[in-house]
Amino acid sequence: MTDQRSALAALTGDGNYFEDFTAGQRMCHARAATIDEVENNFITKQVMNTAQAHWNEEIMRGSPFGEGRLVFGLITGSMTVGLTSQDTAENALAELGLDKIRFRKPVHHGDTITAYTEVLETTESTDRDDAGVVRFKHWGRNQHGEVVCEMERIVLVKKREVWAPARRDGDGPA
Amino acid sequence: MADPDFESFPVALKGNRYEDFAVGDTFDHHWGRTLTDGDNAIFSTAMCNWNPMHLNAEYARAHGHRDVVLNPMLVLCTVLGLSVEDLSESGGPFLGMEDVSFHLPVHPGDTLTAASEVIETRTSESRPKVGIVTWHTEARNQDGDLVLDYRRTNLVAKRSVSSQRGAL
Repeated sequence: MTDQRSALAALTGDGNYFEDFTAGQRMCHARAATIDEVENNFITKQVMNTAQAHWNEEIMRGSPFGEGRLVFGLITGSMTVGLTSQDTAENALAELGLDKIRFRKPVHHGDTITAYTEVLETTESTDRDDAGVVRFKHWGRNQHGEVVCEMERIVLVKKREVWAPARRDGDGPA
Repeated sequence: MADPDFESFPVALKGNRYEDFAVGDTFDHHWGRTLTDGDNAIFSTAMCNWNPMHLNAEYARAHGHRDVVLNPMLVLCTVLGLSVEDLSESGGPFLGMEDVSFHLPVHPGDTLTAASEVIETRTSESRPKVGIVTWHTEARNQDGDLVLDYRRTNLVAKRSVSSQRGAL
């Protein structure tokens, strides 16, 4: 068991186990991403969203929300979560939920999203002792510095003391 | 032979309008969707979510799963997508979501279906062409188990707004 857990721990980073998160902690995530044909036009249709405002350029000419295809809000939201995922959920056991999702500004093809996180709360899990629950607040901002979406996200995160005990002693893999 | 007058062809309109929603109305959404490993790999990589629980099957199996765990954001996007024609295709901004709960992991090959209930309708004094509707949506897998539920609120075009673009 310990050998298997060491092998698993070698696949993911350190610094993002349950013990590493504290309420009030803030992060600007290092990588931003541009939303374009693959991220919005293709994925919106892949996930069965039939609203052509997201994938018909002609029908959106002259739209009061800005020229051209409007990015599906959950694409912006999914990208924001994705950009945070290495820092917030690389050592997660499960995503538990989301709350208070708000889409504050339209997003268009070519816009670039940067993700920001604040840790709201860390709590012990009620049904397992090898992981704890972290509640994050995330914001996605566009290239003009405007917040385009925000949400809270609840993640079940592994405890280092159970899943990567070698690292506690400083002799784990780098 | 001359082409017909295409402008005279009636549009086969899709979607419901604000007046079609009353509190308590329910919708069993169309189609369903079997989510595959390919869906998950494309979605997760496109969204910069390279988590091994979603993309490394051996890693996921070592955590007790039979295969990779489908990215929950893919599950959420797909369930919402299945609900769009019934609920929000007539146009209007997607305002937000509350209490999104992922109840069970979803694995490649699982088939999701979605259903919604209208829980609130109201009009907006400042935006006479639209109303505001809130729905509760549930998604179940092929065994009938609840995998996801949430509440969603949108602006929805009224009947007086006739274009396919609706209130947009």
